[in-house]
Amino acid sequence: MKRMVFVLIVVAIAAGVIAYTPFRSVHADEEASPIYGVKIPPGYRDWQLIAVKQLHFAGMGEQLRAQVGNDIAIKAFKEGTRPFPDGAIIAAMHWTRVPSEDNDEVLDDAFPGTHSFVIGSPVNVQFMVKDSKKYAATGGWGFADFKDGKPGDKALHETCFPCHRPAKDRDFVFTNYAPAP
Amino acid sequence: MKKIAYLFVQVVMVAGVLAFTLSASGHPDEQAAPIYGVTIPAGYRDWKLISVARVGAPLNDLRAKLGNDIAIKAYRDRKVPFPDGTIIARLAWKQVTSEENNNAIRLRSGIETHLTPAQVEKLLSESFVAGPPTNVQFMVKDSTKFASTGGWGFAQFNDGKPADEATHRTCFSCHEPAKDRDFVFTRYAP
Repeated sequence: MKRMVFVLIVVAIAAGVIAYTPFRSVHADEEASPIYGVKIPPGYRDWQLIAVKQLHFAGMGEQLRAQVGNDIAIKAFKEGTRPFPDGAIIAAMHWTRVPSEDNDEVLDDAFPGTHSFVIGSPVNVQFMVKDSKKYAATGGWGFADFKDGKPGDKALHETCFPCHRPAKDRDFVFTNYAPAP
Repeated sequence: MKKIAYLFVQVVMVAGVLAFTLSASGHPDEQAAPIYGVTIPAGYRDWKLISVARVGAPLNDLRAKLGNDIAIKAYRDRKVPFPDGTIIARLAWKQVTSEENNNAIRLRSGIETHLTPAQVEKLLSESFVAGPPTNVQFMVKDSTKFASTGGWGFAQFNDGKPADEATHRTCFSCHEPAKDRDFVFTRYAP
């Protein structure tokens, strides 16, 4: 009996591991970004919010954007630590922006003529990964841009660091932490 | 000597507990919202992201919806109605332009698209970041306590203070059109 219980436990654990594994390696066949070799970090969609943005990007229309960070990044943002410590990862999620008639109807009573917008579909997700040794030549940051799970090409990734250079005094990070209302 | 050391440890522990208690109750003098009695849930700023949105003039804000673990799980499992214990937070910030960001975009737009400076400026007039916070709203699910308002309690806080009763009277009637989605407008962002 004791032995059966033991076998049962082993089977249960094995089942748990098997069930858990495919979930973790959703991007098993995933490619890394050119130049930097950055892959999509598992679970980034569940990271804590840094801030939100709206951008009208050349040729891409309006986007709504959210920046989230892993625990190391969030801690550094909250404590104002610059440069960010190694291990910090910031993810920028970009969606198309579409008008919301649902919301407009509701808002019309209190704020007549108000136009409201919600997200449409995902555009891309970008990552900045801090590793001061590995990425010493680019301010300690590795960059990646994924569209539909696939990394952008080398030419695209060559634009990452020059674009972030103007934010050098903020460790090349544009986004500021949005305070709690 | 041993006794002094013991006392010292006790004093440090008490101080630690006190410090923790104070920091945990960030709004110690906080009031509850009228009608529903909802207070600001501790740690909501660290909750997971549901989605983002923007509302134009006259509000001119950028918004983020965050949810506690029960809310996030219900969203992913497409569970409607939301279970008791669900809390959804809607944070809003005044939208402002960011010159720092715009300078970088000017650079990139010039390289990638060969737009004229005037065209780039036109694009940048629609680019914003989150500025000063405006207010935060909460929807708290308790199907028994809030049975007469779809199971939801509502709250709006401006600068940590609850908005007045008149404001809170508008919450449920505004959310009624979303009845088939358990009175929640926001969908989970993929």
